[in-house]
Amino acid sequence: MSILNNALSGAVASQLALSASSQNVANLQTKGYTRQSALLTAVAPSAGSSQAGNGVRVTALMRFSDSYKTQQMWRSASDLGAHSQTQPYLTQLEQVMGDDTASLSSGIDGFFAALNSVAGVDPTSTPLRQQVVTAANLLSQRFNSMNNVYNAQLQSVRQQRSALVDSANTAIASIASLNAQIANANATGSNASALVDARDQAIDSLANQMGLEVSDQPDGTRNVSLKTGQSLVLGGVAGQLSVSGGAAQTFSLTFAGTRFDLDTTRAGGQLGGLSVYERDTLLPLQQGVAEMAQQIADKVNTQLQAGYAMDGSAGKPLFVYNPGSTSTMLQVAAGYQTSDLAFSGDGTAGDTGNLQKLVGIKSQTITMTRIGTVMISDADTQLVGRLAVDSQQNKGALKTTQTMRDQAVADWQSTSGVNQDEEAVHLVEYQNMYQANMKVMSVANALFDATLQMMG
Amino acid sequence: MRIATSQYQAMMTQSLQENQERITYVTQQMASGNRIQLPSDDPVDSVRMSRLKREEAGIKQYRSNIAAVNERLGKNEGYLQNMVNDMGSGRDLLVWALDASNTSQDLNAMVTSLVSLRDSLSYSANTIDQEGRYVFSGTVTGTAPIAYNASAPAGSRYSYAGNTNDQLVVVGNGITQVANQNVKGVETLLNQLDQTIDTLSSTTVNVNDPAVRTVLKANLNGFDDAMNLVGGKVAVIGGQQNVLKTIDANHENVSLSNQTAILDIGQLDIGTAAIELNGYQTALQASYTAYSKIGKLSLFSVL
Repeated sequence: MSILNNALSGAVASQLALSASSQNVANLQTKGYTRQSALLTAVAPSAGSSQAGNGVRVTALMRFSDSYKTQQMWRSASDLGAHSQTQPYLTQLEQVMGDDTASLSSGIDGFFAALNSVAGVDPTSTPLRQQVVTAANLLSQRFNSMNNVYNAQLQSVRQQRSALVDSANTAIASIASLNAQIANANATGSNASALVDARDQAIDSLANQMGLEVSDQPDGTRNVSLKTGQSLVLGGVAGQLSVSGGAAQTFSLTFAGTRFDLDTTRAGGQLGGLSVYERDTLLPLQQGVAEMAQQIADKVNTQLQAGYAMDGSAGKPLFVYNPGSTSTMLQVAAGYQTSDLAFSGDGTAGDTGNLQKLVGIKSQTITMTRIGTVMISDADTQLVGRLAVDSQQNKGALKTTQTMRDQAVADWQSTSGVNQDEEAVHLVEYQNMYQANMKVMSVANALFDATLQMMG
Repeated sequence: MRIATSQYQAMMTQSLQENQERITYVTQQMASGNRIQLPSDDPVDSVRMSRLKREEAGIKQYRSNIAAVNERLGKNEGYLQNMVNDMGSGRDLLVWALDASNTSQDLNAMVTSLVSLRDSLSYSANTIDQEGRYVFSGTVTGTAPIAYNASAPAGSRYSYAGNTNDQLVVVGNGITQVANQNVKGVETLLNQLDQTIDTLSSTTVNVNDPAVRTVLKANLNGFDDAMNLVGGKVAVIGGQQNVLKTIDANHENVSLSNQTAILDIGQLDIGTAAIELNGYQTALQASYTAYSKIGKLSLFSVL
């Protein structure tokens, strides 16, 4: 009877193998699907030297996965996340600050050109003086709109981080719950492959949001922690990230009743990238522009106060600098008249002594925290230059990390992805195997029939 | 190496994506004619360009200042030249007046001409611009330079009420130029002329009276002095215009070299860009062809 049993075991095994292949083909386009295949093992004979064996058995449905490649994929997701989220912000700033007509530089040029044209043509001309007040207004508006751009970005960066925390919490919870289900399935001997795929994808999306350390456990679960060491998931237990505070956000992680404060600039991934961008690029730029506005306003006001207006009265300040204000950081003093411009150095209307000094302010220096002491006319150029270098670096890093991520994903697919030709071959071969076993059964049947006839 | 079906798909998508991105970038460059689309494309050169543009903006302003100052100087020159012409005809009248054969009536008849000359001179000296500001009063532009006091005795009715300060205008980085003139000194001539008119108006005036001759001779000398003074100012304006011309030519040269540099740094080399674009197009085309052929290949289709 062993021939018939052997044939039966072969037919059953080939059916299982065909079913694995069909699952693979069905999931040809499924993201994160790991291909499976039946692992066939020959069954040894029970006793005696005259038996070939007891057929074949599917010992396991094998998952094709390489934990090194999976780890590599997650690591590259974090690096990519750190650079990908900041590039749109950098590009936007570059476009606004680098624009020839909208830049601070051209606003400053415009203001000093207006002063120069009064100085160069006729210091008493009302339309030319009006142009100075108009240009001062335009300059203020440029500073304010630049400041608005920074504030809009700050707000956007912070909202994005809050959203990231929410979405990370969802991912963390689902990793923990999948871990529990996987441990359960493994304990009861069920196929956990689909669960493992789902969990690994959750880890992949979390890795894009922050840098992770993932360690495998014997029961099939994976523990996830931040790069800085704090645990996010231990087996089936999930931590919870939270964000608090108003403008200056503070982040913390609660795990098993204990709270840790998080420094998000060291978190890696999108969360870390955004925090580093805020700390190293956005806030310093905003500060630099505010310093520019303040010092230009101070210098112009001080010089104007040293001179005399058309009617011989002492000069009044032209600019009002409001520190901390978002949309009115720099303004022209309310009710400022063209005749208030104190261009005269000695009190006579046609004198240009003070105007010469005002014109000279353009080549004076101001001091900015990030850049140092620079000429007023060059300050914005240097800020933009600095931004350009930052953006160029990020673009380069983004390109590198994108390539690494693509490579890591390709490597992972190379092991775990489905190849339809391969599955086609499997289908044909296992079909052959099934048919061959059927043939064996009919041979065994024929032998049995022959034996019965001899008896009859 | 084992290649998964999805791996081939991803590779294809990436390569199409990459080529399309490059084509878009080169097309943008070609559309704007600028090599640098964003400062980060070339931070160093974009800083250089920005600085050149700042300098260019300054030079443009200086050059337009020079044009405006030239215009202003030309106008001043015209007014002053008018005064010199008036003085010339006044001087002629006085030379004639000093002729010893003149009768009282002859001298009386000259008064009308002299009065209109005096008024013309004082009007020219008190010229105002379009905004009503005095052109020749130094920096006290709200005050008429020649003040007239009707109640003073003849010969001291006119006085200079302006100052002699210069209005400096900026025509270059640290370069200033005087843009105004004053008419200090003209009041002496006007007083002398007033005195002459007063003297000649008398019906009994006698040209051979030594007192009359003194007045007339003094006035004649006064005309000579004033013509020298005002003529000298006209000459100064001519010199200033020449200096401005030289400065403007310097600005023009610097501006030209700046603009050349801006073009050199910022302009796209259309030839290279076109070749690049062509290359990317070919690559994209090849990817399409490859995908349309290989994408159809499957063992399933022959089973």
